[in-house]
Amino acid sequence: MNETTPLYALSHIQHGYGRDFTLVIPEFSIEQKTSVGLVGPNGCGKSTLLRILSFLEAPNTGEILFDGRKVEGDLGELRNQVTLVLQEPYLLKRSVFDNVAYGLRIRGEKHDLKERVHEALDWVGLSPKIFAGRRWYELSGGEAQRVSVASRLILRPRVLLLDEPTASVDTHSAQLIQKAIRDIRTRFDTTIVIASHDRAWLSNITDSIIRIHKGRIVGTGVENIIPGPWGADRDNLWSKEIGEGNRIYALKPPEEHAVAVLHPWDIMIATEPPSAISAQNILPGEIRQLTVARENGRIQIDVQTPGIALTCTVTDHAAESLSLLPGRKVFVVFKASSLSWQ
Amino acid sequence: MDYIAQGFIHAIKLLLSGNPETYSAIITTLKVSTLSISMSLLIGIPLGFLLGYFSFPGKKQCRAVVDTLLAMPTVVVGLLVYGFVTRRGPLGEMGLLFSIAGIALAQTILVIPIVISLTATAIESLDRRLRVNLLTLGARGKQIAIASLLEARYAVLTAGVTAYGRAISEVGISMMIGGNIKWHTRTITTAIALETGKGQFAMGIALGLVLLAIAFTMNGIISALKRKTA
Repeated sequence: MNETTPLYALSHIQHGYGRDFTLVIPEFSIEQKTSVGLVGPNGCGKSTLLRILSFLEAPNTGEILFDGRKVEGDLGELRNQVTLVLQEPYLLKRSVFDNVAYGLRIRGEKHDLKERVHEALDWVGLSPKIFAGRRWYELSGGEAQRVSVASRLILRPRVLLLDEPTASVDTHSAQLIQKAIRDIRTRFDTTIVIASHDRAWLSNITDSIIRIHKGRIVGTGVENIIPGPWGADRDNLWSKEIGEGNRIYALKPPEEHAVAVLHPWDIMIATEPPSAISAQNILPGEIRQLTVARENGRIQIDVQTPGIALTCTVTDHAAESLSLLPGRKVFVVFKASSLSWQ
Repeated sequence: MDYIAQGFIHAIKLLLSGNPETYSAIITTLKVSTLSISMSLLIGIPLGFLLGYFSFPGKKQCRAVVDTLLAMPTVVVGLLVYGFVTRRGPLGEMGLLFSIAGIALAQTILVIPIVISLTATAIESLDRRLRVNLLTLGARGKQIAIASLLEARYAVLTAGVTAYGRAISEVGISMMIGGNIKWHTRTITTAIALETGKGQFAMGIALGLVLLAIAFTMNGIISALKRKTA
């Protein structure tokens, strides 16, 4: 297949474990050699999508094309090209060396094993001299996750999938994992798909971010998602209670439980409560995090309002002149008409 | 109480002096238990693995039968095997009655349920993430099965030790199938029963000490093995 063929092309996918939850993806593709981030709340379907992409599970319905070929029958060969790093590292009850070497050994690739294992340990910032001989129980959580990542990187996979790889690791390990992912992509043109809650961490190593909400792809990751239920309120507006007496106002939703989408650039930030303003939504909040958005260099600001975290973008000039720093109390302001319906 | 203390002193003398009768019972016990434990591990570990690893119709019932057999009295096993290996029995021609092989066969039947049940439990208790982890590393059918068994190796070793303890300490089978024949099928346990009956506490205690020493050595070897492979 040529390079313009998407590596993954999913169509009409539906997958569920019970009556309550279903992953529904009408169309979705991942281009070759790209790095894609998946964000969304717990239980939204990120892990399920990763299990489908890693061929651990076949969707109940729908079709997957991998490199232009339909995925069916014996998946052994495909599984050799794709590997998944699990959220909680599971190491075999063997030495670090044997854990990292396992994938190569079962493939019968035993040449230069020692050099390759040591190289993979180096990639994740673990000194082979110190760690190769360690037992599985002699590692911290972050070290165990890095061994888990090394045992995948050594396979030089075509696709590396990672499910919340930094959820249970320290900041140092998270940075080293990030570096290792970036390096493998540069070295081997590996396609990367990462699910993570840490959007700042994710935005540093992904080309694009996809947001999943209740089993559906609902945007490109930067949008704020505000789920219902919505109730009729004053002035032909509808509203949703978010906590501490605060409400978010919107135009009439298509249904009570509709999901609203609010773009970060539609939100303004004020350091004092604005008066005489036509916008219906003025919510108090506290700045949690500032990140430089890769695509346009604007500052992305995460504000925790009562009951919901909202992401806004401002220019670096605005961030500086308003002294927008983590911990600062601010007000987020947006019009009811800024909320569109999913 | 003096006779117990006297018994201990005499026991140590017997062991140190290399008393041939005592050592004959020790050697017979080691032969029988080694044979029976080898056979039960060879058959029991694969069966236990199959029972724990795979799902199949009737699995629960199989498990219930195996677990029930864990409590099988040694004399019942002795009785059943006696019925088969006696001259009139279907295996009478093999001459297993009153032989070391006969005792080993019956002990194997006694301890196989322990090996099967504990191995199956060990496999069932493996972390659910193991399989997914192996699949994501590219392992397939047989490779996953072997890796799973290796992951459960400590628990399987414990199954072996438990089974060995049961084999070495049983008396009913050795008495019924072996016949407690001096210099031939007399084991430590049958000798203890006999000597105690005769009022020979020293001999009984000496053999009891040896039995404990064997159990202690076995545990030591297993612990060392665990440390080495851990």
